[in-house]
Parts: sequence; structure tokens; C-alpha cells
Amino acid sequence: MSLAQIPPLPPECLEVLNHVWDYLDGQLNDETTERLRAHIAECRQCFEYKTFQENFCDAVHSLAERPGASPGLRARVLDSLRHEGFAG
Amino acid sequence: MTPPPADHPSSQSPDAAFEREALPWLDDVYRFALSLTRDASDADDVVQETFLRAYRSWHTYTPGSDCRRWLFTICRNVFLRSLERERPTVDLEDAERDVVGAGRVYVTMLQEGYGDLLSQVDVLPAIERAVHELPEPFRSAMILVDIEDQPYEAAAEILGVPIGTIRSRLFRGRRLVQERLLAHAQDAGLARRNPKENE
Ligand SMILES: [Zn+2]
Repeated sequence: MSLAQIPPLPPECLEVLNHVWDYLDGQLNDETTERLRAHIAECRQCFEYKTFQENFCDAVHSLAERPGASPGLRARVLDSLRHEGFAG
Repeated sequence: MTPPPADHPSSQSPDAAFEREALPWLDDVYRFALSLTRDASDADDVVQETFLRAYRSWHTYTPGSDCRRWLFTICRNVFLRSLERERPTVDLEDAERDVVGAGRVYVTMLQEGYGDLLSQVDVLPAIERAVHELPEPFRSAMILVDIEDQPYEAAAEILGVPIGTIRSRLFRGRRLVQERLLAHAQDAGLARRNPKENE
């Protein structure tokens, strides 16, 4: 896949580019988090990029709303546990 | 043998505790198993074995600790043992490369007119497909952190790797999924470079 090159960025924007996921995942220390937050609040390009990555992670997270174990599997698990002596 | 008074906490039988703390996670464990095996019937086997092992080693569970995490760890181990041999895992030194790669995917999306890709109606199935087609070990990391909402340290514990490895696997997974989304958009012609052209 051929991808566009990233144009030269000011250091503040470069820091957002490099750490946007650490930032969204809460992996940065307070000082760095605050520095990124302040820059994102005033830089439209970084705000849009942060929003894109945030929406992406939210979309992936929404996949959690998927069906769970079938009634058949539930019965099978309980059955094998009772076979093992489970009294529930 | 006289049973202890029923109202005393220690009177809780191990079975009652197992039923209360472990069994409610059946759906979560199933989803996790399905994401690992990618096959419903294999997932059922892994889940059954997971709960059996969990029941047999229930005495090793610390009451009140994170039971879902404990079950996920067992599930992951059951899955690994179910494989003939574990696929070689790739540990990436350079997570930054993936972060910048994702930035390039984004810039390409903007340049090609796919900036609103994530609001397209059919994007979720495309994301789901991309996540499920991810190779290991990136898939497990993404499923645990991004879908099952586990913190990095919990995912590291479940997968038995350092936190830095979770980070690099996660970043690689996210970048690969975003590349697949871009390819999906390009294939489907989801966006028009210049919508006015067609008017
Ligand atoms: Zn910026």
C-alpha cells in the first residue's frame, strides 16, 4: 500500500503524532498529558487527528457488544462442572 | 460434620463462590475464546476446558480479585495448549514506526477524500473483519485492550509478556486495522474525491 508522506511538522504536532495513542490510553505522565492536552486544544490539525484516533478506538470498542455464549454451551459447561462435583 | 452457620461469610461453599464469581463471566470468556480461535465450535471447547480448569484450581483464586482477568489468563493458556505449536511471536522494538505509520494512513485518507470514513454505515463490519483477520500476537493485544477494555498491565499479565510488548503489539494491530480500513474504502469507493463532480 502506498501511503502519503507526513509533511514536516512543528515539534508540538510531532509529539501528538508520536504519542496520540499513549495519550488516549492514559499512559503518559501528568506533565506530558497536560502539554499534549493544551496543544490539542489550540491546534485544529492535532485536534482532528486526536478525534480520528479516538473515534477509531471507540469503534473498535463497540465490537464488544457481541453475542455471548449460546444456551447450549452454558448447559455444557455446567454439565461438565457437575461431573467434576460442582454443586451449583 | 456440622456445617458452619449459614450467615457467616466463610460458610460460603467454594461452589457457591464459583457460581457467584466465575460463572457470570461465561459470555466474556466465550467472546475472548472466539476471538482467539475464530471458530465457534473451537471456542466452545476452549470455554468448557477453561471453566473446568478454573473449577479445579478455584482454591488458587484470590476472593475479591479480578475474576474475569483470572479466567482470561486460563482461557489464553488453554487456547495456547490447544494449538499444535504456538506460532512464532514477533516482538517489535519500534512502536513508534507503527504510530507514524498510522499517521500516514490518516494523511492518505484525508488526501483521498476518506476523512469521514469512521462515520460510514458499513465501517463496523469492516473493522470487525480487519481485527479478526489480524495475525497473532497483535490480535490478542487489541482484543484485550481495545475490545475487552483491559488495562495494559492486565493484558500483559494475561498474555505473560511485559507491558512494553503489549504497547508495541497493540500499536501494530491498530495500524494494520487502519491500513485495512483504508484499503476497504479504496476498494469500495466509499468516498468520492470530489463529490461535486457527480452533480
Ligand atoms: Zn498540532
